[in-house]
Formats: sequence, structure tokens, C-alpha cells
Amino acid sequence: MRRSWIPVVILWVAYTVLIVVATAQFSWFPKEWAREAEVVDEAMLLLQYLSAPVMALVMAVMTWSVIGWRTEGGAHREDGAPVRTNKTVVTTWLIVTSALAIFVVINPGFIGLAEIRGEPSSDYVINLQGQQFSWEVTYPNGATALDELVIPAHARVRYDIISIDVLHSFWVPAFRIKIDALPGITTTAYATAEEEGTFEDDVNLRIQCAELCGAGHANMAMPIRVVSEAEWTEYVEALAADG
Amino acid sequence: MKYLVRAFVLGIVGYAVGVGLTMAIRGGGPTDEVAVVIGYIFALAGWLGGIGGIEAFGRQWIGKSVEVSTDRGWRRYFQFSVDHKVIGIQYGVTLLSVLLIGGIAAMIMRVELASPGVGIVDLDDFNKIVSMHGILMVAVAVAGIIGAFGNYIIPIQIGAQDMAFPRLNAIGFWLVPPVAIALLMSPLLGAFNAGWTSYAPLSVTNESGQILFNMAIVTFGMSSILGGINIITTVITMRAPGMTWGRLPIFTWAGLATSVLAFAVTQFFAAAVILITMDRVAGTSFFQPDVGSALLYEHIFWFYSHPAVYIMVLPGFGVILEIVTTFSRKPLFAYKAVVASLFAIVGLSVVVWAHHMFTSGMANFLHGPFMIITEAISIPTGVIFLGILGTLWQGRLWFRTPLVIAFGWLFNFTIGGITGIFLADVATDIHLHDTYFVVAHFHYTIVGGSIFALIAAVFYWFPKITGRMYNEKAGSIFGVWLALFFNLTFIPLFWAGMNGMNRRIGDYPDAFEGANKFASVSALILGASFLLFVGNLLYSALWGPKVGPNPWNARTLEWLIPSPPPEHNFTSQPVVIGSPYAYGVKGSVHAYFPNAKKGDDPGDDGTRDQEGALV
Repeated sequence: MRRSWIPVVILWVAYTVLIVVATAQFSWFPKEWAREAEVVDEAMLLLQYLSAPVMALVMAVMTWSVIGWRTEGGAHREDGAPVRTNKTVVTTWLIVTSALAIFVVINPGFIGLAEIRGEPSSDYVINLQGQQFSWEVTYPNGATALDELVIPAHARVRYDIISIDVLHSFWVPAFRIKIDALPGITTTAYATAEEEGTFEDDVNLRIQCAELCGAGHANMAMPIRVVSEAEWTEYVEALAADG
Repeated sequence: MKYLVRAFVLGIVGYAVGVGLTMAIRGGGPTDEVAVVIGYIFALAGWLGGIGGIEAFGRQWIGKSVEVSTDRGWRRYFQFSVDHKVIGIQYGVTLLSVLLIGGIAAMIMRVELASPGVGIVDLDDFNKIVSMHGILMVAVAVAGIIGAFGNYIIPIQIGAQDMAFPRLNAIGFWLVPPVAIALLMSPLLGAFNAGWTSYAPLSVTNESGQILFNMAIVTFGMSSILGGINIITTVITMRAPGMTWGRLPIFTWAGLATSVLAFAVTQFFAAAVILITMDRVAGTSFFQPDVGSALLYEHIFWFYSHPAVYIMVLPGFGVILEIVTTFSRKPLFAYKAVVASLFAIVGLSVVVWAHHMFTSGMANFLHGPFMIITEAISIPTGVIFLGILGTLWQGRLWFRTPLVIAFGWLFNFTIGGITGIFLADVATDIHLHDTYFVVAHFHYTIVGGSIFALIAAVFYWFPKITGRMYNEKAGSIFGVWLALFFNLTFIPLFWAGMNGMNRRIGDYPDAFEGANKFASVSALILGASFLLFVGNLLYSALWGPKVGPNPWNARTLEWLIPSPPPEHNFTSQPVVIGSPYAYGVKGSVHAYFPNAKKGDDPGDDGTRDQEGALV
């Protein structure tokens, strides 16, 4: 009984290794199409690694509770040791959990926040207007489109987003970027697409409304096509000429 | 039953009078929203009067004495009973029924989501079912443990004969059926499709069912606040001699913390839906597009609804700590730190609401502070985990159903807590917000943290409340079944959310079919487990083997009186002389009955230790 911390520690280490290996082996995220996506995925992966020992500790105690500390004495079995508390354990626990909390606030918390929401510079500004249940794109030259969003690769684009009725949300899973569309207030999001591709290549290259907006919410999506900057300029000009 | 019939009749009459008056004064039709609001208010008054308010309050107003029912049979459960034990059972049975109705809504959703495209329900109906499922389950999680066991167990645990305000307690319960009726009647007015969150301006412009949702929230809020006041007052003023704060059982502490929170914040949700109602019926423009502010609604709403998740989970902590201590026969580890943590959570929970709004478009500088405070909550929550793990550590564990379900709770809530970090961190939340990752996360915390605890509590206190033992084999099979298929249902949904599936949709891209099919099949098997649960409880309540006062050999006061407890709980005054968790300490006693005569109560077999306590 006295040495029963040894199997718990072994289990703890084993579970931690198992979770870390599984995290490293399995591909958790969809394809990254933008620089911002890499920041988000890195943050998520870091949190997964940090979670491993926490989850493993609870699993280790649970496992050894079933294997090692189980008794069949019924209601009138012997009492356990009358340990009310242990100052060292409580203090250590508080220090470790606080340190973990502070760590994740800084990284990925503030560092990720700065990388995604910072840098208010952009090469192009594209306006998006949400309404039940569609998006309307307005390109820098005033051309508009309802069927798809075409954007230049390797350029930082600022999206100015607004709604004309209820709340919507501009979410591009391939970019890991999301911001709500509010009636009367313009919100902004930045994304830098890094590869050319279309909605047919990856279902996540779409603007998906992510805020419940009524009957057509599920299908309020718009395909995205990422093309070279030259191609994009051509496309936008042709669109404007079409009127 | 005559009071229940009278309540329904007066409720319907009240509704007709309200609607009639409105139509007489302003014209318009009977389904105009103003008419519905006024009708509902009159119906609620008629219902409360009919069920027993006339006898319990009305008579007093005209100088007559109060009459409250003293029936002892099954009829008392359908009456305005002021016995906290009856009210506890009324809450328990009502909310477990609501849980099953909400569960059926979940099953419909999972069948629809088993494959992409529109199947058994169309997209708008799907949103309405999502909304209904959401609010019914929120109600169960908010009031399940605290309503049923807070009422039944807390007064006994502190050695009181009843709650401080028994009539208020009864009013608090009888406000709940109208909530369920209003919500379930809302399809007659087109139901509500804005989710349980009811974000404006959608909730200002959708169908009239939204009005009934709003009325239900205000009513349910009143019930929560009345219950909160009652438990706070009871715990502060009605503890038995010797029941110092340091000897207070942990479930009572958790109930007190919950009640403080419910009392302090519930009105914000009511305020938010009243503002929506005003926008709809009185021409105001709090949240109207352009002139009002949609963000304002989110702030007010989450000012209640984030603390609300702690209203759901804190009593769960209490239940699990109580069960773990009993079944490991060890003192509750770090009792004082755990109690302090409960209240640290209460304090912190009211200043983290905007972490639900990282993608809402609110001012950028607000993200940092809310992220810090949100992460800070993980510290007191960690201490509660320390309390649980430390109590299990080298315990003498006896695996009965309550402990089996507590283990499911422990596993689930750890996952819920860890995934909460992903959502508290702005960088990751920007992607994960409003996806199935969030859906999986809050099911791990709310089902995993609150509903599992509710079910564990049902098994733990079942022998006390019914005087009969549930079937152990069926109970533990159910416990394992529940935990296993709960995890199989929700683990794939984390993946779906991370990979691009958003929430509250009845249709989705084909790429997510595999995960959804798996989740749907698991969910149906999970749903089926409740047949075993309900069957076990019903059968055992009627024909289960009789048990003595203390089948678990636990120490808190409810286990020192007969099962089921007599009408006024204690036949003689208990005196508390020690901690309820001094397991392993030779000769330790929590409480004894100095004036008890042998045979005074059936739990007293006459054996005493040196200090005169029952052993």
C-alpha cells in the first residue's frame, strides 16, 4: 500500500508518452491554405502537447484506483489512511497549475493573438456583405460578385465585413479565420493565402456562415478560389467591365 | 389531483382573460405577440393560484389562516407541498422527464445528421429542434442537481427540519411546469429558431414562438432566484448546533456557492429576453439593426450564461466529492482549499463572459484581459481535481454505481476542462468558435460535468429517498454503457469541428459524413441506455430490496436518519461534534442525538459509543 505511488507514476509516464506519440503521429488539422492557419495549428498542437501530462495524470489515478486500490469489503470495509491534507502537495499543485496557466496565456495566448489580430497592414481590401442567406463580395475596384470569392495568393488581404440583417459570421476553415458580421458595424479580418487552389480541391476553401442566422444558415457558404496575383487582377478587371 | 386540475383550468382561464383584455383594449388577433405576453402573465398567475397559492398565500391577504396540505400519500407530489423532500422529488421527476424529452430532440438531430443533405427534418425545423434541445437541457443542467438534491439533501445535511422559506420553495418548484409547457407549446406559434442563446437581431425578427421562449426564461429565472435565496438563508441560519462552517458537508458548500451565483446573475438573462420582448411588442430598438446594438445583447446574455455553466457544474463538484469520499473511506483531501476554490470560481465566473465573444467584433483590447481571467479559472478548478484525486489516492475503493458514474464524470470533465483551454486562448478560439469542437467541449463539461453528476447523485441518494436499493448490476452496466457511448459520440465531433464543420446546421459538406455517421450511431446507443436507467429506477423504487438508514456507511447527517426520512427529518435534535469526513480517525463522530430515546427512530439500533453517538 505504502509504495502504491510507483505504479501510478509509471502509468502517468506511459499515458503521457502514449498521448504525445498519438498527437505527433495523427494528422489533426485540415490543409493549411494561409499563413494564419499555420499560427493557429501550431498553437493548437502546443496545447495538445501541454494537455498530455494533465490528462495522463487523471487517467493514471483512475486506472490504479480500479486495479490497485479497489476493495471488496462492502460498506463496512476498513477505513483508509486519515490524510486530511498535505501542505507540500497542495502548494506544489498550485504552483504547477498556476505556472501552466501563465504559460498558456503567454504562449500561445498573447503571442498567437499578436500574430493573428496584429499587423494592421494589407495589400488589398475586399468588402463582404452578409445577408440571409448569401454573401456579396465587393473588390477594390468596385466589381461585385455573388457566386464566388477570388483572391490573390501571397498577398495580405483585409476583409471588411458587414451584415444588412441579422448576425452572420465570416469563417474560412482553410485559413482558420473567423469574425462575425454585424448589422451596422464593420468588422475586419486579415488573411494571407499561400497556395493557389479552389473549393473543388478542398471543401474548407469556402466562406461559411458560422453564426446561426435562420433557415438557410447551414448552406450560407461561398466557394473561394485562390489564383496568382496577375490572374486575380485580370479577373477583377473583367468583372468590373462586365458591369 | 384536484389542485392540479384547478391549476390547469385557472391557467387556461387566465390566458383567455389576458388575451381577451388585450384584444378588447387594442384590437388585433389572439396570436398577436402583445396578447400572448399578457395572456401568459395571467395564465401564470392563474396556475400558481390554482395549484395552491390561494391557500398558501391568498388566504393570508384577507386575514384568514394559511392552509397547506399535509397529505402523506402519493397525492402530495401533485400538490403545493411545502415539505422540502416532496419538492426535491418533484424537481427530480420533472427535470428527469425534461431530460428525456430533450434527449429525444437530440436523437432526432443525430438521425438527421447521420448523412449530409436534408433527411427527416428540413433545415429550419432542424434549427428549431436544436434550439429546443438546447434550452431544455440547459434547464435540466441548471436546476437538476440543485433543485432535486439541493432541496432534498441540504436541509438534512445541516440538521434542519425544512428550508427557511417552505412556501417560497413550493412557489419556486411550481414555476417550473409552466416553463416546460410554454416551451413545448411554442411550435403552435412557429417555435423559436435562434438557438438557446437567442442572439439578437435574429431573435427580434423570427417567429412568435420566440415570445414563449422569452416568457419561459423569465419564469425559470424567477424559480432559480427564489431557490437561491432559500438555500443561502437556510444554510446560513438553520444549521444544527455544532455545525460550524468547517464541518459543513461539501455538497452543502457547493449548493451554497451555486445559490450565491444563481441569485446574483440570473436576472441578466431575464433582462436580455425582456429587452428582446420589448423590441418585438413595444417598438423599442435595443437590438434592432442599425439603431440598436447586437453586441449589447451578447454582453448581457453571457453575463448570465457564463456563470450559468458554473451554476450547472458546481453542484456536480459537490456530488462527486461527496461520493468519492464515501466510497474511498478517506477524509476529503484538502477540504479547506476545495471550499475556497468553489468560491474563487464563483467570483471569477462573473468576469469571464466575453471569452464567448472573441470573434464577435468587440474591441480588440478586450481580448487579453478576458483570456487571462478565463485561464485563471483553471487554477481553482485544478484544486477541486486535486481534492478528488487526493481522496481517491490509496483509498479503500468500493465500486458501486455512484462511484462508477463518478469515474465517468472524472474522465469526461478532464477532457471538458482541457478543451476549454483551447477555447479560452484567442488564437485557437478564432478557428474553433461556433464549430463542432465547441459542441463537443460543452457536452463534455455540461453532460460530463453536470448530468453525469446528477445521475451519480440519483444512484447515491436513491436508497435514502426511496428506502429501497436500486439494482446494482443494472446500475453499473448502465454507468459503463453511458460513459463509453458518451465518449464515442462526442470524440469524433472534436475532429469534425477542427476540420471545418460548424455548429447548428442540419446539412454539411460530404467530407464530414464519416465522423457524423459514427457519432449518430453511438448517440442512438447512448440514448438507449436511458431505458435501462429509467427501468432500473422505476422497478427498484417499487420492488427493490429494503435498505437500512446507511447502506454506504457514510457519515453525513442524512445517513443517520431512517430511509426514507420521517416528515420532519429528525425525531430529536442532532448535535454536530466533528468533521463529516474523519474516516480512519478512531472514535471520530460527526453528529449524535443527545435526546434520542432507544427506538425513537428506526435507524437507532441502540448502540452508542462513549460520546453517546449512534454507531
